[in-house]
Amino acid sequence: MIPDARDGDPPGDPLLDPAGDGQPDALVARVETLISLEPIGDPRPWRDTLSELYARYQVQQRLLDRLVRISDQFQLAERERGLDYARRYERKVRQLEKIVRISDRYQLMLTELNARLEFASTHDVLTGLTNRRSMSEQLDREVERASRNGSRFVVAIGDIDRFKTINDERGHAVGDRMLVRIAGTLRDNLREYDGCARWGGEEFLLLFPETPPDQAACVIDRLRAAIASMPPEGDLPPVTISIGYAIFEPGEAIDQTLLRADRALYAAKAAGRNCVRGG
Amino acid sequence: MNDLDIAATGNSPCVQASVPEGRVWMRGDSYPENSFDFFAPIIEWIEAFLASRRPLALELELVYLNTSSVRAMMDVFDLLEEAHRDGVAVSVTWCYEAANERVGELAEEFREDCTFPFVVVSKS
Repeated sequence: MIPDARDGDPPGDPLLDPAGDGQPDALVARVETLISLEPIGDPRPWRDTLSELYARYQVQQRLLDRLVRISDQFQLAERERGLDYARRYERKVRQLEKIVRISDRYQLMLTELNARLEFASTHDVLTGLTNRRSMSEQLDREVERASRNGSRFVVAIGDIDRFKTINDERGHAVGDRMLVRIAGTLRDNLREYDGCARWGGEEFLLLFPETPPDQAACVIDRLRAAIASMPPEGDLPPVTISIGYAIFEPGEAIDQTLLRADRALYAAKAAGRNCVRGG
Repeated sequence: MNDLDIAATGNSPCVQASVPEGRVWMRGDSYPENSFDFFAPIIEWIEAFLASRRPLALELELVYLNTSSVRAMMDVFDLLEEAHRDGVAVSVTWCYEAANERVGELAEEFREDCTFPFVVVSKS
């Protein structure tokens, strides 16, 4: 039996309800009636009814075919649109990844540049020692620490003896190499936590944090001796250094300490050079 | 169309574009406050020039690029790639200081995916 719209089928079925008015179709009713009858007597009502039904069936079939075709085309178009979106999306993602990768490398480049600039701004270009500005900051930090702890520290100023003569007689290139060599010797003979800076032309500043004065004096004299006993090297003449040191007294300005170290240096020079004096 | 002549600033490169020479020259660092505003006329110029189908040569001496400048340059290379596939003769020469090897590596990174002539040259 052909079900009709009343039996829970979705309304508007074009085959069962071509009028779309929700009423059972007369043709369907006639077919149902004919099917329920014994097939006797005049066959014409059967033929006419079936012909009509068949014609409608053909119309509906064509309609259905068209619908399916259109629907398929829509689905295909949607699918391609989806694929196109996916392709474009993937392309954008790849592009974005590349931007991120390149940008990260630029940042790395800046970080490295920053480290180089940081080094350049805190170190002496010739000797590679800490420069004056950086040492001044170290001294400030040391003063702060000493003031907090009531501790003392030692600063020393070393000055190469008769450096001007070396420069004048043998040229600045020799003088420069001499400075580099002395810087290396100083660095090699200091502890890791001691400070050593190129303070001026041929002047070096040494910082001995939290070091008792007698121990510092010992290290300072060892430095002097190390310079004086440097083995000859090429055209570099023998050289000596005079060093003056002073102890930072809690409460005083660092300039005071440096002034005493400077006076001690002059005393060392006056005492014949290649020696150490405390101030 | 006119030539471009954009002077360098502290945060944007010097850009020159010559119609008769078919050449674009960019030099310096690029981290302008508004990259879009900065690059829009350059990209427009390149698009307009490529439409004439005449050969175009880009000569770059860019050093630092911020992220949006990286993006803009990739857009420029995309334009060149498209023109190249379309049969227009385009080329890029990216020069960098030999001492700054990183810049060369970055230029190589940009070159990836480009099928048109793109050379990275170190200057000593």
